[in-house]
Amino acid sequence: MSKRVERVVVVGRDAAAWLAALALRRAFGPVGVEVEVVELPSLLHAVDVYAALPSLAGLHRLVGLDEREMLRACAGVPVGGQRFTGWSGGDGAFVHGYDVQRLAIEDLDFLQYWIKARGEGLRVPFEDFSPAASAAKQGRIGRGDGDPSSLGALQHGYHLDARAYAALARRKALSAGVRARTEFAAAEFDANSIAAIRLDDGSRIEADLFVDASGAEAVLIGGLAGSDFESWGRWLPGDRILAASAPALKPLPAFAQISAVPAGWIGLHPLRDRTALVAAFSSEQATDAEMLESAARMTGLRFGGDAIAAPFAPGIRRSPWIGNCVALGEAAVALEPLDSVQLHLVHAGISNLVALFPATAGEMPESVAYANAIASHARNVRDFQVAHYRLNRRTGEALWDRAREPEGPVSLAARLDLFGARGRVVLYDDETFEEQSWAAILIGHGLMPRSHDLKVDKVPPREQMERFQNLLRLIAGEVRAMPTADQWLEPA
Amino acid sequence: MRKPLEIVIVGGGTAGWMAAAGLVGILGSDSVRVRLVESDEIGTVGVGEATLPQMRKFNDALGIVEADMMRRTNASFKLGIEFVDWGYQGSSYMHPFGAHGRPIGGVAFQHQWIRAGQNGHTFPIEDFSFAITAARLDRFDFPDEDPASVRATFDYAYHLDASLYARFLRSFAETRGVFRSEGKVVDVALDPERGDVVSVRLESGEILSGDFFIDCSGFRSLLLGQALEVPFDDWSKWLPCDSAFAVPTPRAGPFTPYTRSTARDAGWQWRIPLQHRTGNGYVFSSGFTDNERAAETLLANLEAPPLADPRLLRFKAGRRTRSWDRNCLAIGLSSGFLEPLESTSIYLIQVAIMNFIRLLPEAEVDPALAGEFNRLMNVEYDRIRDFLILHYHLNRRDDAELWRYCRAMEVPDSLERKMALFRHRGFIEQYKDGLFSPPSWLSVFLGQGLAPLHYHPMADAMPLPALLGEMEMLRSNVRTEAMALPSHALAIEDYCAASVAAGAAA
Repeated sequence: MSKRVERVVVVGRDAAAWLAALALRRAFGPVGVEVEVVELPSLLHAVDVYAALPSLAGLHRLVGLDEREMLRACAGVPVGGQRFTGWSGGDGAFVHGYDVQRLAIEDLDFLQYWIKARGEGLRVPFEDFSPAASAAKQGRIGRGDGDPSSLGALQHGYHLDARAYAALARRKALSAGVRARTEFAAAEFDANSIAAIRLDDGSRIEADLFVDASGAEAVLIGGLAGSDFESWGRWLPGDRILAASAPALKPLPAFAQISAVPAGWIGLHPLRDRTALVAAFSSEQATDAEMLESAARMTGLRFGGDAIAAPFAPGIRRSPWIGNCVALGEAAVALEPLDSVQLHLVHAGISNLVALFPATAGEMPESVAYANAIASHARNVRDFQVAHYRLNRRTGEALWDRAREPEGPVSLAARLDLFGARGRVVLYDDETFEEQSWAAILIGHGLMPRSHDLKVDKVPPREQMERFQNLLRLIAGEVRAMPTADQWLEPA
Repeated sequence: MRKPLEIVIVGGGTAGWMAAAGLVGILGSDSVRVRLVESDEIGTVGVGEATLPQMRKFNDALGIVEADMMRRTNASFKLGIEFVDWGYQGSSYMHPFGAHGRPIGGVAFQHQWIRAGQNGHTFPIEDFSFAITAARLDRFDFPDEDPASVRATFDYAYHLDASLYARFLRSFAETRGVFRSEGKVVDVALDPERGDVVSVRLESGEILSGDFFIDCSGFRSLLLGQALEVPFDDWSKWLPCDSAFAVPTPRAGPFTPYTRSTARDAGWQWRIPLQHRTGNGYVFSSGFTDNERAAETLLANLEAPPLADPRLLRFKAGRRTRSWDRNCLAIGLSSGFLEPLESTSIYLIQVAIMNFIRLLPEAEVDPALAGEFNRLMNVEYDRIRDFLILHYHLNRRDDAELWRYCRAMEVPDSLERKMALFRHRGFIEQYKDGLFSPPSWLSVFLGQGLAPLHYHPMADAMPLPALLGEMEMLRSNVRTEAMALPSHALAIEDYCAASVAAGAAA
């Protein structure tokens, strides 16, 4: 019988490296797999934040991280959504709330009823019918236990201090039996695979499987033939990411605020001990200092002097698994830190690697399935991000005018066309965002469906109006009963 | 409220009447006005037909009472399909509507099953499928409501007389306001500028016009194929069967709650047990036999004397590149054909209708709606195609040219990849839309003889003796519970025995 994979070496840094090592050790430690991390110098700074979607809880179950412990260690807060301002001109602010399920009446999307009612003069915004958006706007967090079919059963995402989170993952990995080295010198390549990792002291580390979690540097996979990087820069204009911090907000908001500005966007992420700023912008349009100034002007907050900026290039590695080398996190896919997807992409890499963990050392045909899964996850998230840009209504600003030009991706064009026609969402395999999220941002950005499902017409208008009022009442009641974010963190 | 959409359906048969009944049954006659034109002179392809469990959703959406429908179509229950002589001569495996075992130790069941086998403990995989075990015992009962019970691990479909089903839906549709015109369509008028379908003219001179046209004209594809000239994507290099002889016999042999497909020299023979008779047929490739020999083969392999002369059908595997073009939608054979090996014809009709209702256009058709419809249908067709090819490609028969051809042919990349991963490590891809789910792939991979070399490494975390204990328990549980079911014949007798009249009408 062929040899099993007995040794895995992860070369990388920060959350991606340690979460991957921890997940692999927990899943395969019991069958004798050794996991070692060759740690690269961290790229995180004191100002950095990880904003995460509710799906992060799934990764935490996989790696055995307790939510309360994690939040305490990372100055973390629960969040119910993201508020977008300034993207669609005027007062076009809206909230993308993390609704667990799409609202339906008799198996038909609530949205279809709303489209018709809006055409007949209804003035209540779509997001008022989202329990998650309503809770987020009122600073409240759903309990997440209770009856999952209830309107008040909400999930929450997180804002986490990035350094503390990476350190927590590191501690958990080490206590799970992951070994750690530093002083990476170079990778030794052999026949388009990795032969070994060489350290500064000249020692060599061999393994059956190498995981590249080094980020954009791609220290392992970048050295293999066929690993070229496909740029998505024509759709995602940010080429620089800025991070800074300001004092904490009180009371604690239950959402992140993502504001469009002439050169890109600025995100404010409440944490327990501070407010973390993340901005993605085009260096053709503004300097780091100008971005920081416009953030201060827009928010009225005072940002500290420890702001940090770094270059950024969005895109995907065409083959994220070559020979015995698997890339995950930004070594495989780089997307803007928009829509709180960074850790989600790390999660997608880890869970696919666990599901496709090579059955044998040597031949690894799993690489093809891994590549397909990563690419389809990444393209779907990319479409979601590009949709924000494409639907903007900021005129007379070079970056935003260009972003509206309708050139690709084809998959996004199909989604926008269908939504505009009927309010239905095209969903492909491996979607991160389900119908309710797509509907929230597309309507939020002003893409109003031109027609509705005819089944709606079977409900008499008066009954329809009563249903709407009931729904609003139900949502208001559920939200009132929820704790505020501060109460949620410090239960009485 | 907007003006009702005027829809003209060209062609009756299963597709036409399912479409008519679906439209008025789900949308009501206020939203759509449906007219259907068909000719009594044109035969429909409806023979004894096997279905998939999804059909129950369609009937439920229309408010059709199951027992009533079964009584009126001479229907029996179906738990899966038995494939005889497919992998190699003398082999038999079953593709069930249900799971094999359940995940053990954090991995899908097949990994533990492979592992047990590699450690010298080989169990037939079928022993872990409740659906297969019940089917092989000719027993049936409805799935248990308690999700923890092994009796909840399966689903069921029907064998029915498709022409009786069409008749049943016709009366359903006509009482809900569908208007039927008798006659043959002799001309299709297109708008000279826009190219849309404007009307169809019948032999009698009657002209039917409408906002939207549904082409259920069968293989002729009168509107979509002929008038609108939407090209056909030919898949016969992968699915070379292009003909079938069909013949009914009196019911004989065991009353099986499953379809049987037996591989023959140039194709395969179906056996579909209805309440009053058995539907039989031989699907074959004219490139590997001739009509005369095919008819002989069929007649030589019947359980009882035929009730009629074998009827010849001709077809070509493939699909139109778009099922919906302009203001015209093709449903059923006019949109594409996949041989009935996995009982997908009624399923494809149903999916088309349900998608169409969700994407129902206004009088002015928005191309985005058609685009999404075509995407969804293409996914369905392409995935079924791969699954069908798998049956032919993975074979070890060396006795006939067709089987050697299929074994050697190049298959689509999407299928090649699936086979490679299963062979290497028992991995089965999952996808969101379309048939088939992992249990289906598992049964056909293994049944056709593709033995995985390795399994998911995480399986080993569970000590082998504990695993074997659990597998033994599961297996005996399946057996005991299946033995407790009533016979298929009794289940039918109790629930939905057809009246003599329904039997005579067929």
